[in-house]
Amino acid sequence: MEKKLEKQYFAMVFPGFVIFTIGLIIPLMLAVRYSVTSWDGMSKVKEFVGLQNYINLCKDADFRSAWWFTIKFTIGNTIIQNVLALLFAVALDSGIKAQKLYRTAFFVPCLISSIIVGFVWLKMFSNVLPEINELLGTNINFLLFGSGRTVLAGLLIANNWQWIGYWMLIYLAGLQSVPADLYEAAKVDGAGPISRFFNITIPMLAPAITICVVGITTGSLKVYDLLVASTKGGPGRASTSVIYQTYTTAINGRQYGYGSAMSVTLVLALLLVAVIQVKGLKSKEVQA
Amino acid sequence: MKKKLLSVVLCTAMLVPTLAGCGGGAEAPAETPAETPAAEAPAVEEASETEDAPAAEADSSGEAVTLTVLAGQSTTDAGIEEMIDEALAKAYPNITLEWECVDWGNDFQPKMQQYMQSGLPDIMIGKAQDVATYAPQGILGEIDAQYLDRGLDAARQNVTIDGKTYGLVYNALYQGVYYNKDMFAENGWSVPKTQAELQAIIDDCNAKGIKPFASHMVDTWSIGNVTMQFAMNDVFNNDPTWGDKFRAGEVSFADDKMMQTAYQYNKLIYDNTYPETFSTEQTDCDAKMVMGEAAMKVSGSWSIQNFLDIDESFNFGIFPFPNQTGDSKLIFEPNITIMTSAESEHQDAINCVLDVLTGDKELAVEIYDYTKTAPMLKDVTPTFTNPSQADIDEYAANNMIVDVTLGNNQLVWGGFQEENAKDIAAWLQGDISFEDCLAASDARVDASSAN
Repeated sequence: MEKKLEKQYFAMVFPGFVIFTIGLIIPLMLAVRYSVTSWDGMSKVKEFVGLQNYINLCKDADFRSAWWFTIKFTIGNTIIQNVLALLFAVALDSGIKAQKLYRTAFFVPCLISSIIVGFVWLKMFSNVLPEINELLGTNINFLLFGSGRTVLAGLLIANNWQWIGYWMLIYLAGLQSVPADLYEAAKVDGAGPISRFFNITIPMLAPAITICVVGITTGSLKVYDLLVASTKGGPGRASTSVIYQTYTTAINGRQYGYGSAMSVTLVLALLLVAVIQVKGLKSKEVQA
Repeated sequence: MKKKLLSVVLCTAMLVPTLAGCGGGAEAPAETPAETPAAEAPAVEEASETEDAPAAEADSSGEAVTLTVLAGQSTTDAGIEEMIDEALAKAYPNITLEWECVDWGNDFQPKMQQYMQSGLPDIMIGKAQDVATYAPQGILGEIDAQYLDRGLDAARQNVTIDGKTYGLVYNALYQGVYYNKDMFAENGWSVPKTQAELQAIIDDCNAKGIKPFASHMVDTWSIGNVTMQFAMNDVFNNDPTWGDKFRAGEVSFADDKMMQTAYQYNKLIYDNTYPETFSTEQTDCDAKMVMGEAAMKVSGSWSIQNFLDIDESFNFGIFPFPNQTGDSKLIFEPNITIMTSAESEHQDAINCVLDVLTGDKELAVEIYDYTKTAPMLKDVTPTFTNPSQADIDEYAANNMIVDVTLGNNQLVWGGFQEENAKDIAAWLQGDISFEDCLAASDARVDASSAN
């Protein structure tokens, strides 16, 4: 019986395992291999250079700048999206009218491709919102993508507009699964709304928080398409993310080996962040 | 024990394809073109044979053939594929083209890298500078002389390597400063030849509340493009081997005053354009120019399509951006350049396509009129009205035109010019110093050559 079960498990795991291996493991292995060469992506010669690409990465100001932007973008997104998504979810869970309408309105942007979102916000900041200035006679600076000092704010607005609704739904599902008994018992014990929120809602939402924090963090670390459509990594290099820098270096710059080293460091960073977050947040999770 | 056995089996399953992938996947296809130089490839031999038997005859009774085409397009080119399909269907109904159209600036090179591993399309459409990048890899087929002879001789020089021509240049763009002729006439400005004359116009513009330049610096390619225009007239016209010297360590951006001057012109534009330039796209920028919100725009023929689409009566001219010595030449860029795969099994069919492209004058005129570009075929004259044509003719008559492929071959676009443009943008925005901008260009020396 046990043998039969093992065969069944193997049969079920194997197709996924093959796809996973071909789609992820092999490219990853190849990236590691290319990262120790000076391959230009075209010639047949892949000269072995050892760890030179990784040493060069440490000295590469553009790569450091790309990481700095990516980190700021990730921290900004993780805080803003989690806080706002949770607040919207709590608001929608409180029994307000037209809940379904709001839920749909918040969710729709995440159905749009990030490329489209990039174009939409480029036009918003460049054409639509400045028109409002003219209509109202105000002088608000809406050209957020036009300066290195404001481009991060502009991208955070665009990215949060797109994704808050998605994470809100996850929080909403979590909220709806919190037993009402807990709130009633807390009320009987004299706990106010704020006390109930921090002592019941937040701990009971810990699994959802884990999903959202890890999802937003890893998603933000991988940002690319939004940048391609809106700022193209600029002005200058002000909004160049690690992925964007990797792509332009490896493909446009014909430095495939060096670009592979960049991608390997990103994968390691993603793994590290995900492991730390999952371990840290899992320990805070409680069961009802 | 069984669990351990299962683990071993799964790990083996993972490692075998991994090692197989490492061992052959990437190398095997790359070896093929290198082992078969273009001159020796059977496909090229077939092409030579078609000189005796015209391509039209060679494939007119043949079976149905589908040729794959990778078209790296400029903004002006999208849509010409339908025109070519239509003309080809009339001349050679058995040949079908399977198009893959991508943006030349962003996607042509990545696609070429991809196809160099998996097998090239039969036909590739890029720019003349691509020949210098890909021909030395041995992957491009030599173009048959009977088709090259239908084009202008001037088009051949920069697509010929070691006496063999690997690209058929179809049209050309002119680059320089587009100016509002009516505005110039109203204000009594004449075309500037020196920096002092240009500065006088800028000063007068500013005094009269006219924005001197329209620009769209949100597009990094635009900064890279104008910088090469500046470098052509201040650097490469005096020293055509500046890039080679740069790689040899004889010159550098940090030391060469003329190259620094070429970079500094960007500041002149930035200081005299509207503040939202880093948020303005090309179409909006061209519209501002047409609407009379700016007097000049450093650009290329790709703007003509927009200018005339917005207002077909817009009266504009073109002059080369004045250099330090007052002898600037108008920039000429061979644009649509047709390349073929050395390994294609359908060389006869490819020749039929070349036959249509170079022999069908009606199609050529249709394409030139649509793209608003200059012809590179003999005895073909576009019928669209180009208000700047008189200026172009004058510069051509005075031998004041220079091919930018020289500069683009000396300092390549992908990985060098476009990266430098990002640093120039960062410098203009005050994020880095001018010295840092120059140092970044110098540090990129290894990426400055195609090979």
